[in-house]
Amino acid sequence: MNRRDFFRFTGFGASAALLSRLADAATGQLGFVPTNTGIKGRVVVIGGGMAGATVAKYLRLWGGSGVTVTLVERDAAYTSNILSNLVLNGQRTLTSLQFGYSTLASRYGIKVVRGEAKAIDHVGHKVLLADGTSLPYDRLVVAPGIEFNVIPGLETAAAQAKVPHAWKAGAQTTTLKNQIAAMPSGGTFVMTIPAKPYRCPPGPYERACVVADWLKRYRPGSKVIVLDANSGILAEPENFSHAFDVIHQGVIDYHPGVTINSINASTMTLNTSMGALRANVINAIPSQRAGSILTASGLANAPGQWADVNVLTYQSTVAPGVHIIGDSSATTQPKAGHIANQEAKICADAIVRLLAGLSPDPAPVTNSACYSPITSQTASWLSSRFAYDPATAKMALVAGGLVEAPSISKDNYEEMFKWFNTLMEDSFA
Amino acid sequence: MSKTRLWVRALSATALSLAAVSAQAQTTVSAPPAGRLLASNCFQCHGYNGRSSKGFEILAGESASEIYNELREMRQKTGSDVGIMEAHSHGYTDAQLKLIATYLSKQTP
Repeated sequence: MNRRDFFRFTGFGASAALLSRLADAATGQLGFVPTNTGIKGRVVVIGGGMAGATVAKYLRLWGGSGVTVTLVERDAAYTSNILSNLVLNGQRTLTSLQFGYSTLASRYGIKVVRGEAKAIDHVGHKVLLADGTSLPYDRLVVAPGIEFNVIPGLETAAAQAKVPHAWKAGAQTTTLKNQIAAMPSGGTFVMTIPAKPYRCPPGPYERACVVADWLKRYRPGSKVIVLDANSGILAEPENFSHAFDVIHQGVIDYHPGVTINSINASTMTLNTSMGALRANVINAIPSQRAGSILTASGLANAPGQWADVNVLTYQSTVAPGVHIIGDSSATTQPKAGHIANQEAKICADAIVRLLAGLSPDPAPVTNSACYSPITSQTASWLSSRFAYDPATAKMALVAGGLVEAPSISKDNYEEMFKWFNTLMEDSFA
Repeated sequence: MSKTRLWVRALSATALSLAAVSAQAQTTVSAPPAGRLLASNCFQCHGYNGRSSKGFEILAGESASEIYNELREMRQKTGSDVGIMEAHSHGYTDAQLKLIATYLSKQTP
């Protein structure tokens, strides 16, 4: 063994620890990966969204350097869905909502693999990537987000490009922004909301408000028609009712309990349970299901093609060793970024305990906070908390656990950006 | 940096690493610190281990009784006094609030 090898083999642990301590000292706030936990294991994480990034980070922070973490992600950066409605009114750029993976790699020693997970072999404990690579694991975490069901009439890519959902921030967000900008004064914007559960319960109502606020100023006389498959406003009913009926009175026209039969992208016509409607812009949000990797692997075993999990560990009810977190999992909790971050911490804690031969925490609590812009200067918020209920083995909303902001305010709007920045730091930095 | 000095660094790193290895060999894996998972509900806004860097209150190293009492007071508020923290104080038992407060008080700010 030469001198360099000696250094490499025997000195690595300490030097890595020293380096991460130095990084910690430099940043002041962020944690470092401990080297002496005695816990060992190989964890693969599929998907680098809010859930996947957070679980990767906390597995290292809580598991230590003996827990190797490989994060598989197809994109170079995550584009946040949170705040993406502010791209529509020009207050944010998509670029400002992007978060890369280099910090997770350098600060926490997470191995980031850019690629597409193609199949899960949960018997052989390995993940097969599209490029033929096979990644063996002791524990697998799957966090692929959502997949969209197709609305009749929108089967082709061309139709989907003309009638965007923009429910996964990215190219469609830009398309929708441009379509709104091209609307005439006195035009019609129609949004359709799928039956629950869907990603981000307050999101569609928030979008209706942001679009109405913009149209009011720049395309006067325009209407926002909201067709909701649900029987009423699902999130923050008080604040959004006030926003629809008072703040955006005469602009937003809200219709609950409406089913979309089909959409014709050529004639821009919706065929609905309340008749046919024509619009300048149709923002049709389809119903959703678990990510393709889960449906393809037989892990989307709950109604609606979501993945059933044990909420103490987020382990699949059909595949031992496979944990499913975030929007793809079927739980009583909302499908949203903030709660996905907390599900990720419960999952990381459970995996670390399981690798150590311990039992998972028997009484986890999750919380969710979500700020919603109502105009270009004001916002509301929604907060909820869930605790494990041993009687039902589900996360149950606690007494007094669902609260919406007592008013829509400028202070909330300012606080929204603080919340966003800290939440993204906790997930990606 | 001279080769000798590099070598000395490598040796001292090795000593540290050996110490870590022997400590590891003696350590039986213990349960995570009490309250850590519950307190992680605070990290989304108050930073990792309560070491906020982006505007919300720093909780790391605050007195446990102060955090505990403040959360309990927040829980009493109603109506227009309910801010997002008042909302968040609901959902934890007194014992859980104590665990959270104690965990955060032990963190270095």
